[in-house]
Amino acid sequence: MNNHGILSGRADRQRTRRDVARGTGYGGLGIALVLVLAACTTGAPTGAPTGASTGTPISSTPVSSEPIKIGILADLIGPFTTYGTSLANSAQLAVKEINAKGGIAGRQITVIVEDTQTDVSATVDKARKLIQSDKVDLVMGPIGSDANDAAYKTVVEEGGKLLFYTETFEGGKCNELYFSFGAVPAQQIRPLIPVLQQKYGPKVMLFGADYVWPRRSFEIAKPIIAENSGIVVAELYLPLIAEDFSELVKTVRDKQPDYIFSLYPAVWGAALKALDDAGLLDTVGIGTIFLGDPDFGGVAALAEGSYTALPLFTVADAPGVKPFLDAYAAEFGAGKIPSGGEGVGAYDAVYLYKSAVEKAGSVDPKAVAAALPGLSFEGPTGSVTITPSHYLQQTINLVQALNGKYVLANSFPNMDPEEACSL
Amino acid sequence: MPLMGLAGSDATHRSRRRIEASLLLALIVFPLVSGDTFLIDRLGRYFLLAAFAVSVDLIWGYGGMFTFGHAVFFGGGGYIVGLLTTHEAAFLPVPLWAAIIGAVVAVSLFAFALSYFVFSGRAALRGVEFAVVTLAVAVAAERLMNAGGSVTGGRNGILMSSSLGVPGVISLQQGYGFYALAGLLLLATYVGVQWFLRSRSGLILRGIRDNADRIDLLGYDVPAIKRRAFVLSAAIAALAGAVFYVHEGIVSPSAVGVGASTLVLLWVVLGGRGTLIGPIVGAILLPYLTATLSGSLLDIWLVVIGVILVAVILVLPSGIFGFLNRERGT
Repeated sequence: MNNHGILSGRADRQRTRRDVARGTGYGGLGIALVLVLAACTTGAPTGAPTGASTGTPISSTPVSSEPIKIGILADLIGPFTTYGTSLANSAQLAVKEINAKGGIAGRQITVIVEDTQTDVSATVDKARKLIQSDKVDLVMGPIGSDANDAAYKTVVEEGGKLLFYTETFEGGKCNELYFSFGAVPAQQIRPLIPVLQQKYGPKVMLFGADYVWPRRSFEIAKPIIAENSGIVVAELYLPLIAEDFSELVKTVRDKQPDYIFSLYPAVWGAALKALDDAGLLDTVGIGTIFLGDPDFGGVAALAEGSYTALPLFTVADAPGVKPFLDAYAAEFGAGKIPSGGEGVGAYDAVYLYKSAVEKAGSVDPKAVAAALPGLSFEGPTGSVTITPSHYLQQTINLVQALNGKYVLANSFPNMDPEEACSL
Repeated sequence: MPLMGLAGSDATHRSRRRIEASLLLALIVFPLVSGDTFLIDRLGRYFLLAAFAVSVDLIWGYGGMFTFGHAVFFGGGGYIVGLLTTHEAAFLPVPLWAAIIGAVVAVSLFAFALSYFVFSGRAALRGVEFAVVTLAVAVAAERLMNAGGSVTGGRNGILMSSSLGVPGVISLQQGYGFYALAGLLLLATYVGVQWFLRSRSGLILRGIRDNADRIDLLGYDVPAIKRRAFVLSAAIAALAGAVFYVHEGIVSPSAVGVGASTLVLLWVVLGGRGTLIGPIVGAILLPYLTATLSGSLLDIWLVVIGVILVAVILVLPSGIFGFLNRERGT
């Protein structure tokens, strides 16, 4: 009994000691974790050679020789991968060319690409990282309209940095620090509608995915259709990724439009298939403003005969197109082609940024923003100019799908974005 | 096999206290030694995700209610705050603090109504049936937000117009202030849920998880206890979500969807279901890895995360802390 008590007491004491040791182990682990994290986070910036040179007052390299940092928010996974990759690649191609020729005012450009994963939350997080942690001078991207809203709030309103959006989108944004390099509705719709109407007739059906880009585009399209004496016979919105297209089929059957003007990008092939299955595809003309080269391949058979208006196609005949496509393929692999809008937009944007920084003599966001309007660049698709409203006046190409390939129908230089924004 | 979580021996209880203490110490000391305000801000976000994970662990880990739709409450909190602070109507917009309270109350009421139908009566749902219902709710919620036109902002969601803090006095929207706010919220959640689990209701809840029929036969009101835990869990998720999305600046339909609801399950599984502390660590670790790897390993980061997850689940099926607890418990 007594022995037992002593034994158990000893065991208790041993266990307590072991537990204490374990406890300090955990405490130590916690502290070590903190130190490692702290070392990682504070070590990164000072570890970079450029950071070190700023600290020394008698450095041979002046502060202005530090690289200019461009952060890119690109959706590299998820439904927008094609566009995100085009955006990131094209921007990097321009940066590589500029760096090889001496950079911007003698300063090299560093690019930091962050994957925004076709996700709004990730876009906010990555935008904040680029601004607060990497301290970039310029943010480019992202892709989706919703992510654009998020980036706009985070980069422009909260971070006070420049945001270059290079996507084909609905327009309507207006801010001192916000610039659009993609195509906006009026630019694409104005050339497209007369061609479709002449070819097929005046009755148009507007068909879009149910979100802000199609809705605002159609509001812009309506007066243009009316100017051309066209008639809107139906307007239909389906979910971005619809499973059932019977409403589309029914509407086409009932209203018998001469042509469908479509802004239904995500599962366009499925919509075309439904029309084809119903035997309607041969009875109606089709025009879009989204189906660029990389997307066209998969639906070529169904999209036969349809028209598409975008800035860039591989068949566009401007003298800059072939060198751009060749350089793109040389850099990212044979057969790789940029998508129709965001790629060439990003390429132009980097060059225009270079001009603006050199003109302003600084990378200060407000100074660069003030220098940008009016600047021109001879880009792959021809001359582009930044308008006072911070949008891009540019060439729009119109193609038709014939025998499974895009054929250039016409080229429309210097299309006005028609975005009212007075700054 | 030892009971998971709180009802371990004295030794596991003490070592648990030490883990908690060192984690708390680490998180208090960290912002003092690190000058990286962005990382501090990011950690603040993860604290709110961690509170969300704790709310899921409460009903799944301790109540056996597997849910595929908890983001409805987390994102719902964000949406309600957005609706109440950005729209101009009869009594709107209301101040942020009132909107946050409104969000918690509204979500709790919704959760109560839902749980009333789901847990009560002859058709009381269990296991997979319950999971399917929560899945359907999440799908419906995401579609509803998408289709909400100018009220919910459709696919683009709602851009928040207010920021955390007391205007003119202190801003808690970013950096240290936000870190402290989110940290305190997580601490309160953790302590509160522990208190609940130690209470009579919490004990019965764990009993229901292990054998609902037996608890029923013993004369306890099983649906009432489940409802209580479910509503508490939804309220926590709503509070964390409300603060999270104000900090985020935007709330869009994916916030209430199945994707977000599934992600939180991964954090809980990784950290250890039914351990409370595990989901917290999971909800900090996995988003941190995702955020950093997706920047540094552009092409293969998703594969790396996938491999880590599969490896952890194969080697440690009960999660990091489930494993640690078992090691010590036996």
